This record gives sequence, structure tokens and C-alpha cells, in this order.
Amino acid sequence: MISQEQLASTATARTETGLMVDVRGLVKSYAHKTVVNHVSFSVRQAEIFGVLGPNGAGKTTTLEMIEGIRKPDAGTAILAGLDVRRQKSAVQRIIGVQLQATTLFPELTLLETLQFFASLYPRSLDPRKMLSGVALEEKARAHPQDLSGGQRQRLALAIALVNDPQVLFLDEPTAALDPQSRRMLWDIVLRLREQGKTIILTTHNMDEAQILCDRIAIMDGGQIIALDTAAGLIGRLGALATIDCRLDGKATRSDIEELTGVTGVRQANERYIIYTESMQPTLVAVLSYAEEKGIPLTDLQVRTPTLEDVFLELTGRELRGK
Amino acid sequence: MLTKIITLLRTNFIILTRQRGLLISSLGYAVISMLVFGFLFGGNSSTQTRLGVVDQDHTFVSAQITSQLQKSDALQVYTGSSDEEQQALKDGQRGAVIIIPVGFGQQLVGGGAHLQVFYDQSNPVTAASTQLTVKAIVDGINRAVTHQPGPVTLDQQAVAAKDMREIDFITPGMLGMLLMWANLAVGIQLVNWREMGITKRLAATPLKPLSMISAQVVARLELSLVQAVILLALATWIFNVHIYGNIGLLALVVTLGALTMLAIGFAIGSFVKKTEAANSILQLVGFPMLFLGGSYLDVNGAPGFLQPLIHIMPLYYLNEALRQVMFSGAGWSAIQTGVLVMMAWIVASMLVVWRAFRWL
Repeated sequence: MISQEQLASTATARTETGLMVDVRGLVKSYAHKTVVNHVSFSVRQAEIFGVLGPNGAGKTTTLEMIEGIRKPDAGTAILAGLDVRRQKSAVQRIIGVQLQATTLFPELTLLETLQFFASLYPRSLDPRKMLSGVALEEKARAHPQDLSGGQRQRLALAIALVNDPQVLFLDEPTAALDPQSRRMLWDIVLRLREQGKTIILTTHNMDEAQILCDRIAIMDGGQIIALDTAAGLIGRLGALATIDCRLDGKATRSDIEELTGVTGVRQANERYIIYTESMQPTLVAVLSYAEEKGIPLTDLQVRTPTLEDVFLELTGRELRGK
Repeated sequence: MLTKIITLLRTNFIILTRQRGLLISSLGYAVISMLVFGFLFGGNSSTQTRLGVVDQDHTFVSAQITSQLQKSDALQVYTGSSDEEQQALKDGQRGAVIIIPVGFGQQLVGGGAHLQVFYDQSNPVTAASTQLTVKAIVDGINRAVTHQPGPVTLDQQAVAAKDMREIDFITPGMLGMLLMWANLAVGIQLVNWREMGITKRLAATPLKPLSMISAQVVARLELSLVQAVILLALATWIFNVHIYGNIGLLALVVTLGALTMLAIGFAIGSFVKKTEAANSILQLVGFPMLFLGGSYLDVNGAPGFLQPLIHIMPLYYLNEALRQVMFSGAGWSAIQTGVLVMMAWIVASMLVVWRAFRWL
């Protein structure tokens, strides 16, 4: 049996080296389907780590294993030096969790809900202050079902923070939020990092991953298929720009691939996504190609490559199902 | 640590008291049923008290008392021997019997005369009105004869000739029903928490499922006791239902009944996935039990082919035990079988829970 002091000192030692979460070879299968297949990554203290991927990629299951909600079939997750399989309670005391859809007791008011969750930890923050921290102090006597989507997410965040956790898990924190609520939540998350909290979040929103995350793991089919900073991931495309346009049926993919500076082409019917290492010459080449062949060119967009392009390149599928 | 346990218990209790549906289906139905049955069938006490008078003195004074009593509009007076009238009292034919003993007339003049009065206390309403009527008449006699109150005292004795009124039958039945609905519903609660993802959120905290479940059990027991007290207080206040048995033993039966229903509720909640399904199963289990368990009707006279079914119903034993304790004033020995059967149900249900329970 390890004493609390020992646990605390291990935690500090780990914090000094900067490694807060260390995940090795997590596996989880349900009824012959492997949902999470050997996932490994590590997260430093005060880092925002994003897990990006489409629905069903295994993001939530991965998080739930690290949070101690589900038992992995194989692999380990160490948080602040504590093994979640062997020291589950100790881990759960230092983590804050926001589930994808946090349903709470409909009978309790917000304040009662926070007081209840606060009582589950040896050390907790003042529930009233938590409410005002997420701008819900006026709703203290309301019930969770009376809240808007954004307010409900902020309540879930307040609950996740009530034990002043070292590691915060946010599962799709801004899914289905309006842009204003989304911005508000991003601000809160960025402030939490300044306070030294380590944050692991999942999302299928590229902007969110790009704006918030220090590093991003792209997950698909239960595996991490790429892990880097946003800039690093985009750099892998070897392209400086993306030209997105529609060319009618007379255009051919092979023609376009041979144009100046083109590093890659993706085609879906008449839509072409052209990656290039030299934007201006390629753009001119595309325009003159259309001109020579008498092909109407429409919906032209030139942009910096995004994580969406990275995902498309890695999986051949678009991240946002359209 | 203690404040944490209190918060856990308080939270669970608040959750229950804010479930309008739960309160209506348990206490609400029970009170309404009790009122309906009480008022429909409760008016079986005639306005005239049937009073038996036994004149053993055979003096002028005793004859005068008898004729005074006969003149009263509130009384229907029967005269007869002591044995005859006592028997009539035990058969429920008399509200009270007054015995005017030998030497009453002489004692009255000298002071310190005694009248013996036997009341049927199975019906507290008639008992109370009879007592008042008799006292008023005796006071009148006192003043007429001696011009001062007090020389005649009444020796009052209760007689255990209880006539079970409809309300006396229905009240324990409604208490049983209340305990059943209020506590079987724990199954729905569990399934609902699981379906909504509340148990998953709790699984991310250091709170152990067993702690939450224990707190929920304690909260349900508290609620059951509070609801039982409210129901019985109403029954006593409105219908003069009398609890003859030991209150402690009654509380014990209530607790055991609640625990039995909780265990069955948890067993149902263990293997059902959807709240809606849990609700249907609850109705499917609850309603037949309500009638076969004898909450509304006396099932001891039910057809023979139903008897085996009736005799496995935990509610039947709960109702029987409640009636034994409340109405017959029975002690431990009379309810032993019922207690054992309920405990068997708890054990069987816990086996199901042990095999099939899922928190997530």
C-alpha cells in the first residue's frame, strides 16, 4: 500500500520532468470489434493535447480508459505517476472529466449538483465560486435541464474543475455549440492552461484543434495515424497552399498533376483539391489550363492547407461528414 | 468524512422528494385509495349507540337511571342479564354495556357509587360518542339525586370485541402498496441513471458505486418511513384507525417490506437496459401483486388455483404482517413466516443482482 505522501511526491517528481500523462498500448475491444487498437501518447504538464478524428474513431473510449471509467483490455495509462488500473481512486482525485454528453440529476439545482460533486473529493473548491467562474452564478437555483447547450457545457466544465484537477479531460467540449459559446469555452480552456492545468480534449473540429491544441493526435479506426503540432502535421503535406475549385468533365486528373508546382491532387467528381509548393505559378497554370481547354472554372478558393487537408490526405476521407 | 456521508445521503433524499411521479404513485395513490374506500364504506357506524343496561340493583334509583337512558335519543337501550349483554358486546351488537351493581342505590345516597361500563373499542368513533353520552347521563342523574356532581364514578373497561371496518382493512393494504411502489421504483432509477449516463459521470469520480447505492437505499428507507407516518397519521385523524400493535414492531415490518421491494427493484434494474422497459416491467410485476397480494381485497377467500400464486407474493406477506401488527396487535411470533418469506425474497433478489448488476 502506498501512502498519500508517497503518491504526492511521485506526482511532484513527474511534474518536474514535465510528463503528466503517459499512455502505452491501450487496447479495447467490444464483441470482436477492436475500438481502440494500441494507442500510445504522452502529454506534458500545462499542455493542451487534442485528439482529432471522425465519430467512431475511438477517441471517447481512449479517454474513458485513461479516466478509469473503462478497463482497458491491454496497455497502461499513468497520470502524474499513478497507474489508473492499480490506483484508480488516487488518479480520479486529481483529474477532472467532462463527458461528451454530461447528463446530471434533473432533480438537483446547479448549486446542489456542484456541492454534491465537491463532496466526492478530499479537497474541493467553493461551489459558488465555480459557478461564477463559468458565468452561471445567476443560475444557481436552476436545474440542468433548464440550461441552454452552452450553459450546460459550462456547468459540466465547472463540475470537472470542482476538485481543482491537475489533468482535465474534455470530450467534444464544443460540439453543437453556437460560435459565441464556442469562443467563450476556448477562452476558458486557454486560461486553464495558463494556470498550469494539463488538458486533453477530443474534437472533430479542425479550427478548434488548430487554435487550442499544442499537439494533435489524429485518430482513425482506433489508431493514432499522426501525432504532431498543427504546423508539423500540415507541413507533412509538402504543400504551401491548397487550390480548391470546380472544373467540368473535360478536365483530367493526370493533366492537373503535371501542372507547375503541384504536389498532389484529390478529385471528387468535378471538384479538385490541388496541393502546391508554389502557389502563384500553379494558380496561373490552372487558370491557363482551363482557358486553353475551354473548361469553365468555378468555386475557386486558394487557402493555406488545414488539418482537414491533412486528414483527407491521411485517410482519403473528409473529417466532417457532409 | 461525516459531512461527506451526510451530503451523499441528503442528495439522494432530495432527489427522491423532488420526483413528483414517485410521490404520487406511492403516497398519493395510497391516500386517495384510503379516502375513497374510507368514505365509501366507512359509514357503518349507526348514529344511535346500542347500549346494553344490566340492572342488578333493582331499586328505584336504578330503575330511574334505566328509564333516563331509554329516553335519550342518542341511545338504543337493550336490557338483559350481565352474561347476555356481555356476549352481545363481544358479538359487536352493543356499543357499550352498563352494569348497575347490587347496592348501587344505597351507595349513591352515601356517596361513592360505582357504575361498570364496558365499551367496544374496536370502533373508536362509537366508543368515544358512547362514553360521552353515558357520562352526560350519569352526571344528570347525579345532580338530580344529590344536587352535587360526582358521587357516581364510572369504571371503564375496554373489551376486545373488534369489528374490522373496511378502513381498518384497507389502511395496512395501502401502506403495503405504498412501500411496494416507492421501493420497486429504485430499479427504474438505476436504469435511468445508467441510460442517461449519470452513472458514467459518477464512475469518473472517486465515488464507489456501492456508496451511491447504499445512500439510495437509506434515502428510500427514510422516505418509506416518512410516507408511512403520513399515511397512518391521516388514517388515524380522519377515520380513527387505531394501531393496536407495537409501533417499534410496525416500523420494523415497514423497513423489512421496503427492503424486500428495494431488493426486487434492484434485481429488475440489473438486467433491464431502457428506462421505458424498466417501467413496463415494474407495472407488470406491481399490478398483479397489488391485487393478489391483498392490498385492496381479502385474498384469503380467493379461488384455490390462485392460492399458490398468492402465497409467493412478497406483498401478500407484507400486508398480512402489517394487518397483524396494526389491527390484531400481534407480536413477533404471528408474523414470523411473513418475515422469513420476505427475507427469502431479499436473498433471491440479491443473487440476481450479484450475477447481473451493471453500473455502466
